[in-house]
Amino acid sequence: MSRSKHQALFFAAALVYAGSLHAQNPAAAPDLSDPEVAHVAVTANSIDIDFAKFAQTRTHNAGVKQFAQTMITDHTAVNEQAAALAKKLGVTPADNAVSQSLQSGAKEARAKLEPLHGAAFDRAYMDREVAYHQAVLDAIDKVLIPTTDNADLKALLTAVRPAVATHLEHAKQLRGQLGAPARASK
Amino acid sequence: MIVWLLLLLGLGRTPATYTVEIRGMEFHPAALTVSVGDTVVWVNQDIVPHSATATGGTKWDTGVLKQGQTGRYVARARGSARYVCTLHPTMHGKLIIR
Repeated sequence: MSRSKHQALFFAAALVYAGSLHAQNPAAAPDLSDPEVAHVAVTANSIDIDFAKFAQTRTHNAGVKQFAQTMITDHTAVNEQAAALAKKLGVTPADNAVSQSLQSGAKEARAKLEPLHGAAFDRAYMDREVAYHQAVLDAIDKVLIPTTDNADLKALLTAVRPAVATHLEHAKQLRGQLGAPARASK
Repeated sequence: MIVWLLLLLGLGRTPATYTVEIRGMEFHPAALTVSVGDTVVWVNQDIVPHSATATGGTKWDTGVLKQGQTGRYVARARGSARYVCTLHPTMHGKLIIR
């Protein structure tokens, strides 16, 4: 596979896992094979979908529930596009250390959300979503679009960016409506 | 004479069809003015699904439109209505019917 295709897949994966890693610099990420990069992309998207599904079972807030449904719908659509790009580039996803790290990190984040209920859960979930989408947006603007020269990927990034920005705006609005977190007692 | 009267009243015109493109998480145009009897077609060009759903007055809803799908509404009565995408409430549009 050509270097440009490898870069395209790498950045596609970075697009989705940068948020999960809280704006980790993609340039500093481990060197992955194309199938591994594709697996990272699918894994990262699936993790956010899983968080949204969990939120739907836990929250009683109609706005949060609706937001979670939108995340499921939209990230599924983006995943389908990423999968289509991987197929076009002739890549079959393969499990790897980064994917496993993402799964591990998601497990820890899930463990922090598990004991929370009601408003405390809603705030924690929305805090995560704000941070996630801000990190992804930063990655798109500062790293991904400026550095990729693959036409297919640049088109995908350009198409995805407004959705991420809208998710971020939606998440911030919703988080603002939930109020400030209660101060921890000493 | 009757034909002229009908034309003056706007009753003899052929209904028009207008297109609102949904792209980049926005409605284009964001505000559209049409006449009674005209048809508005929303075309979703984004990767993610959208809807165009009236938020007040006359109730109409395209339902969820996936990429490439279209939804339409025939303007039946004068008035104006704001509408949103129910999946992305930060997306707004306005339809004015004269």
